Amino acid sequence: MPQLLAFLSDYTIQNVMIGAALLGISSGALGVFAVLRQQSLLGDTLSHATLPGVALGFMVSGSRHLGSIMFGALLSGMAAALLVLILTRRSRLKTDAALGIGLSTFFALGVVLLTRIQQSGNAAQGGLDSFLFGQAAAILRSDLWLMGALTLAALVLLGLLWKEFKLITFDPLFARSLGIPVVLLETVLTLLIALAIVIGLQMVGVVLMAAMVVAPAVAARQWSVRLERMVLLSALIGAGGGIVGALLSATGANLATGPLIVLAISAVVAFSLLLAPQRGLLRTALERRRTAAHLRGSRVLVSLQRLSAQHGDRSYRVEQGMLNAYHRQDTGAGLRELERRGLVRRAPHMPEEGTHWELSDRGHDEAERVLQGLDPGNGTANANSSGSNSASSSSGSKGVHGGG
Amino acid sequence: MSDGANAHEPDLAVHVEDLTVSYQHKPVLWDIDLDVPPGVLAGIIGPNGAGKSTLIKTILGLIRPAAGHVYIHGRPYREQRARVGYVPQRSSVDWDFPTTALDVVTMGLYGQLGWLRRPGRRHLEQARHALDLVGMLDYGDRQISQLSGGQQQRVFLARALVQDSDVYFLDEPFAGVDATTERAIIDILRELRAGGKTVIAVHHDLQTVRSYFDWLVILNVRSIAQGRVPDVYTAQNLRAAYGGQAALLHSSDPVAGISLERE
Repeated sequence: MPQLLAFLSDYTIQNVMIGAALLGISSGALGVFAVLRQQSLLGDTLSHATLPGVALGFMVSGSRHLGSIMFGALLSGMAAALLVLILTRRSRLKTDAALGIGLSTFFALGVVLLTRIQQSGNAAQGGLDSFLFGQAAAILRSDLWLMGALTLAALVLLGLLWKEFKLITFDPLFARSLGIPVVLLETVLTLLIALAIVIGLQMVGVVLMAAMVVAPAVAARQWSVRLERMVLLSALIGAGGGIVGALLSATGANLATGPLIVLAISAVVAFSLLLAPQRGLLRTALERRRTAAHLRGSRVLVSLQRLSAQHGDRSYRVEQGMLNAYHRQDTGAGLRELERRGLVRRAPHMPEEGTHWELSDRGHDEAERVLQGLDPGNGTANANSSGSNSASSSSGSKGVHGGG
Repeated sequence: MSDGANAHEPDLAVHVEDLTVSYQHKPVLWDIDLDVPPGVLAGIIGPNGAGKSTLIKTILGLIRPAAGHVYIHGRPYREQRARVGYVPQRSSVDWDFPTTALDVVTMGLYGQLGWLRRPGRRHLEQARHALDLVGMLDYGDRQISQLSGGQQQRVFLARALVQDSDVYFLDEPFAGVDATTERAIIDILRELRAGGKTVIAVHHDLQTVRSYFDWLVILNVRSIAQGRVPDVYTAQNLRAAYGGQAALLHSSDPVAGISLERE
């Protein structure tokens, strides 16, 4: 315990933890808007495009002063965003192509500038290339004040323009019909996302910073049905991942902090994608399997009912092998499921034959209901189909309707 | 109107003059003159690509025209924004957005609220009232992705109702909705008209034109015809707008069929 306290009170570790939490909060909260506006790639382009600004900030200030580097990074990130905007508006380029061009051009320019600085022999340039993958341990208490102030400013602006940001993200066309300056607000939102990236640049680096914008938001989306909660949760996941990554790197064998932070958050993403109660893959897959099994059961039920009607015998017994042959698949599981629901029961049979089945009274009723539901001209058909639609869409995700 | 002196055509709900819109040199609307009197339920019909959506988007200032001007109740649209309600096409937004039906309806008040103000209890009450009007009061807390297409369309209508406007523009309000919703929507639109409001809807089901609308604009890049439905909804005008598809009308639309035979 005293060791843990000593560990946590270590000056550098404290700095790294606070810094990681700050960058997680800002990129988590603002990343939500990038993800919901289907601009996840914008984060990637913005972060790579900050590199020339990092180099220029260093060249102008002549030192590794974080403020000037951040300012340069913000400027070149926004320049790239502007380039992408102009390319998509003025040329026939699609957004993804424009983003790709912006990313690679600015990143290449950044790398060229970095090598230029390294050859210049300036003693202060040592470790400037750490902005590629980040270097958490280099962080100073004064850097934290700057990061904290920027995070606070971004969050305050987000709070002040909350309802406008929500509206332009959900329905920009309607927002414009209300006279809301959508283009201006979109620019401010892009600026804030660039700011969030710049805040984390020193710790996580330009290559991985995009993950910090996208990953917490994607994880948070799995658990939230309101924008407020999604932003809150995304910021928490970002901060939590930041702290966990910082601790792991401090305890481990000198592993890089930035990538560990990204891995920690990626673990949360994987968990959320799989197991979230409404939108998780597991729940969706289970639902699909259940629907498919139900459908197979209904088909077996209807066959039994038809056979009994043909023979004019309500308790007509059918051997399982015959049903298997008719459906060209094993009906055992389906029959046992129907038996569990009390729709069929096993019938006595000769010892040398396989299991025989007959419909119960409830089975007859259910088969009748299924057949009526299949008739498109029937009123109950509509009620049934709309019922199953709302059931499958209540899982909250698109593309699962195949199960319904 | 008190300031009728500087107003331009103040007796018309919507007055459009010489409106031309082009996408990359291809005209989609050509020299449109449009006059809609107040208190009518007007339909805009025309074949695919006729510029129906473009026309209302341009009137609403969402598309910049190459030429022409738009007046709402005698004043430029920019000054009359508060008097105009808009229902975009349902497919124009991502319904997987994390929010509730009530919240979407409340968005209709954001224009009146202005900067920095948040919707209060009174605004939520207004939004609930609008949801009630479209028969969706019980769905206020429902996640919008869980609503059916018809329910989503009603939420969009409620968002326009909460704007409490004088002129309503609706872009294909009946597209992909169930019969119940279609009836509910047309009932509400009729109530709006009864209350002296002007309603203008892009429509594409010719069978219901006569029963739904009393004013009609037939469009195909140019304005083919406009006026009261009995005067305008003729086989000649439909053939002018739909061209070769007029034969199809003959068999599928009994009303158009009769007018064709009368000639």
